[in-house]
Amino acid sequence: MSVAPARAPRDIAAPGGGGVGDSALRPDGVLKVRGEFAYSSDLWIDGMLWGATLRSPHPRAKILSIDTSEALAHPGVWTVLTHEDVPGRKHFGVDHTWDQPVLAFDEVRHQGEPIALVAADHPETARRALEKIRIEYEVLEPLTDARRAAFDPAYPRVQPRGNVARHQPVRVGDVDAARELAEVVVSGEFQVGMQDQAFLGPESGLAIPAEDGGVDLYVATQWMHNDLEQIGPCLGLAEDKIRMTLSGVGGAFGGREDLSMQIHAAMLALRTGKPVKIVYNRYESFFGHVHRHPAQMRYEYGATKDGRIVYADVEIILDGGAYTSSTKNVVGNAASLAVGPYVIPNVRIDAYGVYTNNPPCGAMRGFGAVQACFAFESMMDRLADACGLDPVTVRQVNAAAEGSALATGQIIWAPLPMAEMLQTARELPMPAPADTGDLRDLPGGVSQTTHGEGVRRGVGYGVGLKNICFSEGYDDYSTARVRLEVIGGEPVAMVHTAAAEVGQGLVTLEAQIARTELGVRRVVIQPADNRVGDAGSSSASRQSYMTGGAVMTACQAVREGMAALAAARFGHARDDLSFTGDKVVSESAGVLGTIAELLGDAVIEETREYHHRPTTGMDPVTGRGDSHAQLALCVHRAVVDVDVDLGLVKVVELAAVQDVGRILNRVALEGQIHGGSAQGLGLAVMEEIVVENGRVRNPSFTDYLIPTILDMPPMRLEILENADPRAPYGLRGAGEPSTLSSTPAIVAAIRDATGLALTRVPVRPEHITGSS
Amino acid sequence: MTPFEYLRAGDPGEAVAAVAGRPGAAFLGGGTNLVDHMKLGVAGPDLLVDVSRLPLDRVEETAGGLRVGAAVRNSDLAAHPLVRERYPVLARALLSGASGQLRNVATTAGNLLQRTRCPYFQDVTTPCNKRVPGSGCSAIGGYTRYHAILGASEHCVATHPSDMAVAMAALDAVVVVLGPGGERRLPIGELYRLPGDAPQRDTVLEHGDLITAVELPHLPAARRSAYRKVRDRASFSFALVSVAAVLDLDGDAVRDVRLALGGVAHKPWRAARAEEALRGGPATEDAFRRAADAELAGARPLPGNEFKVAMTRGVVVAALRDLAEEGR
Ligand SMILES: Cc1cc2nc3c(=O)[nH]c(=O)nc-3n(C[C@H](O)[C@H](O)[C@H](O)COP(=O)(O)OP(=O)(O)OC[C@H]3O[C@@H](n4cnc5c(N)ncnc54)[C@H](O)[C@@H]3O)c2cc1C
Ligand code: SF4
Repeated sequence: MSVAPARAPRDIAAPGGGGVGDSALRPDGVLKVRGEFAYSSDLWIDGMLWGATLRSPHPRAKILSIDTSEALAHPGVWTVLTHEDVPGRKHFGVDHTWDQPVLAFDEVRHQGEPIALVAADHPETARRALEKIRIEYEVLEPLTDARRAAFDPAYPRVQPRGNVARHQPVRVGDVDAARELAEVVVSGEFQVGMQDQAFLGPESGLAIPAEDGGVDLYVATQWMHNDLEQIGPCLGLAEDKIRMTLSGVGGAFGGREDLSMQIHAAMLALRTGKPVKIVYNRYESFFGHVHRHPAQMRYEYGATKDGRIVYADVEIILDGGAYTSSTKNVVGNAASLAVGPYVIPNVRIDAYGVYTNNPPCGAMRGFGAVQACFAFESMMDRLADACGLDPVTVRQVNAAAEGSALATGQIIWAPLPMAEMLQTARELPMPAPADTGDLRDLPGGVSQTTHGEGVRRGVGYGVGLKNICFSEGYDDYSTARVRLEVIGGEPVAMVHTAAAEVGQGLVTLEAQIARTELGVRRVVIQPADNRVGDAGSSSASRQSYMTGGAVMTACQAVREGMAALAAARFGHARDDLSFTGDKVVSESAGVLGTIAELLGDAVIEETREYHHRPTTGMDPVTGRGDSHAQLALCVHRAVVDVDVDLGLVKVVELAAVQDVGRILNRVALEGQIHGGSAQGLGLAVMEEIVVENGRVRNPSFTDYLIPTILDMPPMRLEILENADPRAPYGLRGAGEPSTLSSTPAIVAAIRDATGLALTRVPVRPEHITGSS
Repeated sequence: MTPFEYLRAGDPGEAVAAVAGRPGAAFLGGGTNLVDHMKLGVAGPDLLVDVSRLPLDRVEETAGGLRVGAAVRNSDLAAHPLVRERYPVLARALLSGASGQLRNVATTAGNLLQRTRCPYFQDVTTPCNKRVPGSGCSAIGGYTRYHAILGASEHCVATHPSDMAVAMAALDAVVVVLGPGGERRLPIGELYRLPGDAPQRDTVLEHGDLITAVELPHLPAARRSAYRKVRDRASFSFALVSVAAVLDLDGDAVRDVRLALGGVAHKPWRAARAEEALRGGPATEDAFRRAADAELAGARPLPGNEFKVAMTRGVVVAALRDLAEEGR
């Protein structure tokens, strides 16, 4: 008689145990909702000083002189610093660009560029001292024309090396020959306005001088080690003299990938010998981080009558503003994804990132793919109209799939069921017609503006393809250290990474992975700091993949150690053993004992780096290359009601079909898709930093509008799980794809309702009503 | 922010004396506008006289009308049963302004006297005649989306941002003012100024003039009234254009009509020409459109805000059409 194990391992791993696949609760969730979470702006240490930053009011000017004497004499001021006081390298820049002055000298190139710093014993004192710094400028006419910056050699230079940060062509086949074959030609010029990340926690942090001449930095960042690579040389300090700890991050969306106050606070702390805190206010924050590149795009597609695209001719100009920031990589994305997930045999793409005296632009959720997606999806709708096809069919006819090639020649190696996803989106039930009984449901919302008359419904589709992880040959990796030991009678896994929790739920996921891989219930996520290796940035939808992968492999190494102990102790073969619910379990004999007993005083600690499969660069002439590590797809269907008389839009429903490879935490995942869709909605109908002659005209959340709960409709989600065989658990990064496709879907729906061309986002009421 | 003193006034007379006696003094209501401006450096009073807790916080019935204390909070005024019953246009205008939190703090007088949202007015690094008389107007030739199409001057093209004031203008409200020389009553139409060559003055009030109340006259027709606002998002944003309308019908004819426009001028714009065109005539969509056109014939849009003409016409027609339907 065979005795079945008392309990199967499956039963012991109780559902809801917080492993991979469970909607584990966020450890920071309750604190944040109750207002008890400590953000970087809440940092405090007794005796600290307050730093403040003097910024240029001019987008372009020569600095003739800086006189700080009066500010220094101001009571309560400890020090005033200028470029002369930068201890090391005078320039910094994310990702090895090194072109942005720590403090401006000779010249300012954008409004809000930092010029001088003050440390004082009160923030108001510091601000008042700023007013006493005398700067003589020779004000120059700002250079703000991105097209001239791209093409006009006579246009004055914003940067000495020229005005084009990167030009990336992509060439496939022969566009001119294909033009002859085209039966239908459609073209368009499209524009995307400058979007802000609109994170709520302003740039802030605390620098504490250390006895060894170094500095301890507490900051809210997306990528600690890249910060460090810049801070060290600028301070003239070895990296081991700079101890960084992540403090509470109030949202990021790309806007914290570049440095803001890090070097400044450290300079003030090192000079005064006192801890220094800097907090930007909201106004300053608009000048304290980069924004999404505004884009001007010209597209021409030729097709056969049945809607099959035979060529694409594309020009994309991205205005990077005064400094490089992430512009080069944004251009790479825009170029490689310029025609999206469509198979087009002949392609000519030219993407440019240029310097102007506009505000610097860099990373923002969607990173170059957002701009292109608005244009190519608008083109798909134009093509549908021209061929008499419906918008879903024209997309299905040209859809890429596993095995087809991107414009760069990269073969899609994992499932990409785009045609099916479009079908799913189309077949979702439609929302009910506008209920004129509740005016909140109509365009205009609580303004009671629309009362049902003149309201037209429209439906639109959008497809977004986003590259996940760093592309173009970057050696992208993350590091995790996992330590298992018995604390208070229980086995506890301690997970240590430098990865930034920016609100996306990464710490929740790290703990889920540790529970699943180690079979323990208690997991402690240690504060992210630089005592462990680089984790890369919390951007490019990459942390679940990269840091998730690092935690997974480090845990697996620890589990190997446990298995070795268990095999010796219990005399079972290693592959008969597993660990779950704090217990050691044998497939054949059931529970053998507890992990706590097994470990005793032993400590198992392992550190692992996780690299994704290497990518290659894009050929500088043809754009060819296996440049992307992973691809993720989202399809949106938007339903809108438009009051055509008053120009008001109500997005009635947004439905998303997204392939995430594997659901790791459904609640967190849905939050990402909802949030990405909302950010895309914002770009579609309201969000824009208004820049006039190089100056920002709406640097506040009273004037820069983001969607409220009344603007954001309920969402219908269809989540697919087609595993990417290369990725941990088969997952696909999920933070960004929905940000791409929601914008074009909404604009397509408005076009459907109004018949207007709508070539620019955000679409404003006046774009719908016209001017006569 | 520059340093300032703070005084909580015990009674209206003390408040007036405190402000009148000091050129740098200012009244403080809910502070939602003034304190913002102090932070931005737009305003720098050296004394704040807090009038938000004076006993001016009641809504009282008068002969057929209402007297609204200057310190009544926007939320309380919007929720007042008599306001909702007799002047729905006012309740709706209030509720379409700002956010719940702001309305809980903002006062009636502060709302009337809030200053323009012109971005150049708020940016102390740019010239602005309203902030620094004689320095120039940056909006002309600049970003004009929120600027005036009616009654502007070469010195200033700003708009008044209040929703509440537009409804009050349509209702012929009267503002009660206590000045150093005593009390006087100003029809709301006379409170606000056009910019002319002195855009630094939003109103005719003199330094030290305290608004103590707003009187809403007996106006039975206002029971059928509406406020409509076009803006960039569904809540919590200022008007691109708005309209407050009262429509009194005699069968299919217009017996009386009151129309005021927001977002189009330096003050809530009473559309007298449109009213005249409508009075006694048919209440048809065509007539509404012609009336709007009569008012807008005087419009002088700026490059960048031409759209406001069509949008204003659209919102006027929509509001009147709605009220006419209700009346049938
Ligand atoms: C984010 C945001 C959005 C907003 N959106 C809207 C909107 O959509 N629609 C809208 O209409 N408004 C909007 N507002 C403006 C808001 O309505 C005003 O800020 C508010 O009504 C001002 O009232 P308060 O009592 O706070 O005034 P305060 O800021 O206290 O005062 C404003 C001015 O009035 C003067 N003052 C105050 N009381 C008196 C008195 N009794 N006698 C004489 N002078 C006095 C003050 O000296 C000051 O000059 C918004 C404001 C913000 C911040
Ligand atoms: S419109 Fe008026 S408030 Fe605006 S800049 Fe001109 S003068 Fe100043």
